[in-house]
Amino acid sequence: MILLKPGLYLITSFIALLVLAVPFFLVQASAPFWASAGIMVLTGTEWFPYEMLFGMLPAIIGSTWAILIALFIAIPCGVATAIVTTELVSSSLASATRMGMEVLAAIPSIVYGLIGLWLLLPLLQASFDLLSGHSLLAAGLILALMILPLITLMSMDALKLVSSTQREAGMSLGLSWEALLFRVLLPQAWPAIRGGILLAMGRALGETMAVMLVVGSLDRMPEPIMNVLQPAQTLTSRIGREIGEAAFGSIHFSALMACGLLLALIGLSISLFAHTRVVKA
Amino acid sequence: MPQQLNRIETVVKPVNTMEVEASRLCIDHLSLQLEGRAILSKLSTTLPATGIIALIGPSGAGKSTLLRCLNRLYEQWQGDITWAGQSIRNRDTDLLRRQIGLIGQKPAVFPCSIRDNVIFGLSRQQRRAIADEEIYKALQQAALWQEVEHRLGEPAEHLSVGQQQRLCLARALILKPDMLMLDEPTSALDPRSRDIIERSMMELGRSMPLLWVSHDLDQARRISNHILFMCDGKLIEQSDTESFFNQPKRIESREFMRWSVCDC
Amino acid sequence: MMFWKALRQYRVKGLLILISLPALVLPTISLVYILWQGLPALNWQTLSGEGVTGFGLEHGMFGQIWGSLLLMLGANVLAAPAALGLALFFNLYANDNTQRTIFTLLHLLQSIPPIVYGLFGLFVFVHLLHLGISLLAGMIILAMIILPLLVLNALHALKAISVEQTESARSLGLNDMQLICRVWAPLAWPTMLTGQLLGMARALSETAPILFTATVFSGVLWPSSIFEPVTTLQTHIFYLAQEGGNAHVVSIAWGAATLLIALVLLFSLTALFLRRIDQHHRIS
Repeated sequence: MILLKPGLYLITSFIALLVLAVPFFLVQASAPFWASAGIMVLTGTEWFPYEMLFGMLPAIIGSTWAILIALFIAIPCGVATAIVTTELVSSSLASATRMGMEVLAAIPSIVYGLIGLWLLLPLLQASFDLLSGHSLLAAGLILALMILPLITLMSMDALKLVSSTQREAGMSLGLSWEALLFRVLLPQAWPAIRGGILLAMGRALGETMAVMLVVGSLDRMPEPIMNVLQPAQTLTSRIGREIGEAAFGSIHFSALMACGLLLALIGLSISLFAHTRVVKA
Repeated sequence: MPQQLNRIETVVKPVNTMEVEASRLCIDHLSLQLEGRAILSKLSTTLPATGIIALIGPSGAGKSTLLRCLNRLYEQWQGDITWAGQSIRNRDTDLLRRQIGLIGQKPAVFPCSIRDNVIFGLSRQQRRAIADEEIYKALQQAALWQEVEHRLGEPAEHLSVGQQQRLCLARALILKPDMLMLDEPTSALDPRSRDIIERSMMELGRSMPLLWVSHDLDQARRISNHILFMCDGKLIEQSDTESFFNQPKRIESREFMRWSVCDC
Repeated sequence: MMFWKALRQYRVKGLLILISLPALVLPTISLVYILWQGLPALNWQTLSGEGVTGFGLEHGMFGQIWGSLLLMLGANVLAAPAALGLALFFNLYANDNTQRTIFTLLHLLQSIPPIVYGLFGLFVFVHLLHLGISLLAGMIILAMIILPLLVLNALHALKAISVEQTESARSLGLNDMQLICRVWAPLAWPTMLTGQLLGMARALSETAPILFTATVFSGVLWPSSIFEPVTTLQTHIFYLAQEGGNAHVVSIAWGAATLLIALVLLFSLTALFLRRIDQHHRIS
């Protein structure tokens, strides 16, 4: 009993220390790289570690494209699924869909990688007449499949949380099904749906294994920049590919740590954005 | 209350008031089961064309459910409901709901401005073309105009609960309904707001029928012209207010008035 | 007029159903495909590795399953007390400001991609602390990854306890320890258990952070201490996918994937089942 309070304080401060340690050591580990290469590497287009060229832009562009493709597919699909399951079909079908989505959300990312590698890539190869199918499009598609359950589940919860009195009030005013959906349900569920989308964005940003297997790991700028059918590289796949070969203490190792720092910063800003918007609302 | 009930008045009333007046809404053997339980059973009645009709009865009698059948929020009932001679099953649901407004127990305002809330039920073209007089008229009828005159652009959530309830009224009235249904509209309100709503509704009741669910016998007696007394999904007694309170025909009505419970 | 309205209604609903079709079809296809590929590969030979050579397949899968479970258990054993402690601190001693800070920090921690924790662990535990590529490093990293999830879940569990119950317990003169053991614990344990199971499922499915901090391709069957590397199912699937080509390797990879999914679902579906029972219990 006497130990409870100091014990809890100890645990809390230990966790706080750990939380502070993450950014501290990431900065420390990547410091040699920043010192030698400078901040301008963020816009550099060449990444050849053995020639000391560490341009970050190809991977940043790659990550951006993969996330955009994933969101472009998963948002409409997920939100529409949530609407159809909560508003149109019977509740037993809705809970079956929910169950299915929960199962999908639980499938490890490496398994999605296998699906991408041995199911999606041959399909892409055949339909776009590509060399191997490894491409940003493949990464985007597999990411879309991975974040779809997340967006669907969050949107379903958001729509369910709109109170039944609001629904009834809308219906008693003689609003049609679409008017009720677009003027009452979606506006009120939107903050939570947006939260789900931002969460999914963070997930897509940090996803490594599946992306690594299908993206092709070719570190160069897409030519032209809209070309998503070429093999390319994302921030996460670069780390996953190269961390094993980079010797501890080398600039290469430090550069990969810098990629990690960049990932953390982007992830944090997405979360901060979501957080401030929610607090404001 | 007891002395009111025991007071004997000898007022001569025309016989069969209900049938003399032209009827608009007829309910014919209405039954409804939800999850295997009978909520309404073989309910038949004809509502008068104007005046406040108080729907009273113990809780769980199916009063609120009846209202939700009348504007087709519940659809799985048997029997028939006709509105101006036509079964409501054959009518357009959205149009029907605009013609028969429903005000809930707790006000449900939408998260937008007061003005937008008032015109929420109108179509897009109507919203664009709406004249300020229409909004004024609706708010005036709901006795809210004076309080919100200068703050129509404010979020509706800033209003007090009583004001919100009147906003819901205005929102229904701007659709020019032929009938209003009120589901214990004053039970969540303070006495002052209750008085305001009662007064404006009594005014409104001169021109259209108002079906008012109330659990408060005093209120029912105060405001209504007619009484429907329901219990356990059945219509027990229907008469004009004075004769119901002075000479209830049924023993259940008498019991209910004395102890607020009844055993049907 | 009525006709156009009917058409419009049909159009919007039809469009929505059309857009949602991939979400209903694709997942089913993926799941069926995995099982179709994976189930035939699961037999005694692949599990035990008898009579198989090359690609690290000769040892079968038991070592990998064991490695995955060890990492999972270690991570949860490390993270659970920390999460519980932080949640109790949050409810007992933190003032409003501290509570808000903790809450924000947890959400921020959750938003850092897992692979970044892997990098952190590689730098700090593997190299600076000289733990080497080891079971322990992997456990700590996974523990850090699941910590926010466990804490948020524990906070949720404690929040669901009504203020009246806590207050009446206090007014009966219960001290902190008694309050925790006799009021909070009996009320909160189902939700806590659910969270723990979800944490286990999460730890089992994370691959990237342990790829270069805790696991090796092959050569280890049963780690003799926590300072040795392990082989795990999830990283083994990755290595097999890398090797690719050989039909036998592909089918083993699908088999391992099916096994991994089965393990993960065992934990997450139990969690969902528990949650549903708990909710049902609470409503009635």
